[in-house]
Amino acid sequence: MFERADDVVERVIQHLRRPVAIDPGLDARVLREIAQAPPTNRRGWPLWSALAAAAVLGAILIARPWSRDETNRSDLLQFVFVAPQAASVSLVGDFNDWDPARSPMQTAQGVWATAVRLAPGRYRYAFLVNGVDWRADPGAPTARDDEFGTASSVVTVGGRGS
Amino acid sequence: MILAALLMVVQVAAQDPRLERLDPGTRSAVSAVVDSARGDGLPVEPLIQRALEGATKGAPGARIVAAVRRLTVDLGAARLALGTNASAAELEAGVAALRAGATPEILAHLRDLRRPPLTMALSVLADLVASGVPADSAAAAVLALAPHARDADLVEFRRAVERDIALGAPPGAATSIRVNAGAENVFSGTGTNPGTVPRPRRP
Repeated sequence: MFERADDVVERVIQHLRRPVAIDPGLDARVLREIAQAPPTNRRGWPLWSALAAAAVLGAILIARPWSRDETNRSDLLQFVFVAPQAASVSLVGDFNDWDPARSPMQTAQGVWATAVRLAPGRYRYAFLVNGVDWRADPGAPTARDDEFGTASSVVTVGGRGS
Repeated sequence: MILAALLMVVQVAAQDPRLERLDPGTRSAVSAVVDSARGDGLPVEPLIQRALEGATKGAPGARIVAAVRRLTVDLGAARLALGTNASAAELEAGVAALRAGATPEILAHLRDLRRPPLTMALSVLADLVASGVPADSAAAAVLALAPHARDADLVEFRRAVERDIALGAPPGAATSIRVNAGAENVFSGTGTNPGTVPRPRRP
């Protein structure tokens, strides 16, 4: 009932080796179609390719992804200050022109927070509690050069591998 | 007369509008300092921010003007030490380092040791001093780490030293230990390959 595998393979090979009848006019039709095909503007491709390559190169040169220019990037930093009794807390510093209205902090059970996007650099800042009370950030380095009689803190946003 | 009036109008128009928060006398003096700094090629944004800080904190005008003038002088000193190619951020951090007690020679040495930007290295130096580390110890530590450490490594180093200080270690000793014990205690991935970038161990 069952043929040996070798016999089956041999029959398949013989079947595949049989010549296939092809329309004798096929070659003539193919050559005619080729001859009638509209010519393509082959000379245009190198020009467009060159323009596209120049555009990509220009974009890369403008973006300069390898650049170490510190102004190219910024980090989103979250500032947190615990003041359960405060009615309002604002974050003020070199990044918002020391304007209390620019970065009011939001509270959740006395924990005040806000986020600011900063480019690489060193920034002085402080928290203004209830509009009158200046507080430094207890979790950040203190600015030593306090020339105005109230404490400030310092945050540094790095530019390399930070 | 008309020309003088026109010049005054142009000068007022050229003033940074943010300085409107200062009283007229202070604004005029600060603007003069800012214009002079701009003429010398120094960054003026730190000067404006220092003036605005004083205004928001309610400082007397004379103190604001003195602070802006002092910052101008220090920015010039930082540029002298770090070179004319130093960015505004580097100059500002350089000012912090100089005020912390680092010498211009240390800043120049750091510039030679580390490729820019130097902002974080200079800031860490200043912040270590603010934490109580003697200026020479802080400078020695930063100079030792500067050639290979990333900015993040320097921040982790500063935090580690601050933690040790908070736990009662003398600031100078904490800094020395964290630097000298690098291979075993502070960093991982160092010791076999001198070119390996040292990485602080995560707490």
